[in-house]
Amino acid sequence: MTAALFSLALRQAFTRRKLALLAILALLPLGFAAFQRTIDPSGGADGMLNGVFDTLMLSITLPLTVMTLATGAFGNEIEDRTLSLLTTKPVPRAAIVLAKIAATVAVAGPLAAAVAALITIMAHDGGAAQGAAVGAAGALIAVVTYASLFTWAGLVTTRALAFGLIYVLLWEGLLVSILEGLRYLSVRGYTLGALAGLDGAAFSAFSPDAIELPAALIGAAAATLLFFLLALRRLVRMDVP
Amino acid sequence: MSAASAFSVEAQAVSKWYGSVVAVNDVSFGVEPGVTGILGPNGAGKTTLLNLMCGLVRPSSGAVRVLGEEVEGNTQLYRRLGVMPEHDALYSFMTGREFVRMAARLQDVRDESAVDRAIEAANLVDAQDRQTGTYSRGMRQRIRLAATLVHDPQVLLLDEPLNGTDPRQRVEFAGLVARLSAEGKTILISSHILEEVESLADRILLVVSGKLAASGNFHAIREKLDERPFKVRVAASKQREMASALVGLDCVLSVTLEGDGVETLTSNLAEFQRSVPQVAQRIGSRLYRVEPLDDSLESVFSYVVNQ
Repeated sequence: MTAALFSLALRQAFTRRKLALLAILALLPLGFAAFQRTIDPSGGADGMLNGVFDTLMLSITLPLTVMTLATGAFGNEIEDRTLSLLTTKPVPRAAIVLAKIAATVAVAGPLAAAVAALITIMAHDGGAAQGAAVGAAGALIAVVTYASLFTWAGLVTTRALAFGLIYVLLWEGLLVSILEGLRYLSVRGYTLGALAGLDGAAFSAFSPDAIELPAALIGAAAATLLFFLLALRRLVRMDVP
Repeated sequence: MSAASAFSVEAQAVSKWYGSVVAVNDVSFGVEPGVTGILGPNGAGKTTLLNLMCGLVRPSSGAVRVLGEEVEGNTQLYRRLGVMPEHDALYSFMTGREFVRMAARLQDVRDESAVDRAIEAANLVDAQDRQTGTYSRGMRQRIRLAATLVHDPQVLLLDEPLNGTDPRQRVEFAGLVARLSAEGKTILISSHILEEVESLADRILLVVSGKLAASGNFHAIREKLDERPFKVRVAASKQREMASALVGLDCVLSVTLEGDGVETLTSNLAEFQRSVPQVAQRIGSRLYRVEPLDDSLESVFSYVVNQ
């Protein structure tokens, strides 16, 4: 039953248009990293980690990748009026929400992890194997948290993409950078905290502003759980169109 | 089914409103096994009523019970309930067979022969391996019906199931419904087409403006509908003579000259339609048009509601 839900959600995620967009979003930071390394072969790791890993990938392309998949997970079902096909089956609502989040993570997770690992390797001139693994793990933390957040958004608003863009640019991009305390309420803050905490050497660029590792991990888990529960509550209480 | 109730589906003082719009207003009824039609004009609240029964919509007040159990929050009830919603929504990237198989898996039905049986019942064996995105409207309806039947539910809630189907498919559907009914299942079918419900259902719930206007045996209600007076406009070359002649007919209740025609109220539409050409011939008038003015389903319903 759960496998059928997951398989359906995966097939919905694998549309040609979405895959093309995901490929562009994945290639963009890699292209920038390669370009930066070409014009400045002797540049340090910190510049690339701050400029490409954090500012471009973690703040823009990764959330956009997850947003593209997660907001449509329920948003498309509501728009196409297919949600009733799922909610009139003897399936726990929690399983439906979980399947949607899991499908987003299954598609975006490996992609984001690979991009994060490659950028880390390029930043350290081919070294930092452990850093690459930690970079991939950090990207996965961000993907899971964003997947939960944007899946909920797709259920509560028909303008989830607009909501996502405003959230990413205004909250994660602007406000969290200005107000230090908001890092404890930011997916980017959790990810940077996790990276700096798990491998301080490879990700020393993030150390000055990073939150503590336990706070980062607990924060990411709590945000994931919170938005999962909010999505579940919404699915249980809503009038299905 | 609970011991306290013989009804498979039961609504108790159910209302549903969206903001200031009342979609269903204080409706109570009980439905026994067999075929029951939910009949009403477009916008009457039929779909909302069905959605309340299948838990897609939560009641603003009152309660709905299916097979003796509360519907709200009761996902396990769907093992015994088959729901075919109004919109012909499908996953267009799936083949018909994949769609029915997915419905089976979500019902925990692992037996592939159940998928075969459901597709056969919907008469879509030949098209089962085509993507549903290429299906006609009638085929989409039939594959949805197959997915609704795949777990052999005890209660079926079908919202406008004949939309888009051709006459042959309607006949096949009627046969299928009759067979399911004979097996003791409870089938609720909504429609805004009187004749469609007449061919399928023994009992009806007549819904008008969110209220239950009438319920019970279809034929008793149909007889009442046939007794209602009809308004007909007759356009002829000699209007005044035509009006004088028509008023003499037994089936005519009143006659009024209105613009380019004679508006007539008749107690027997069939007899009136037979008599008008004869009258025209007798008085030597050319007959241009005989036009029923209130033959819409809405007017039929308003008549029943006002009785």
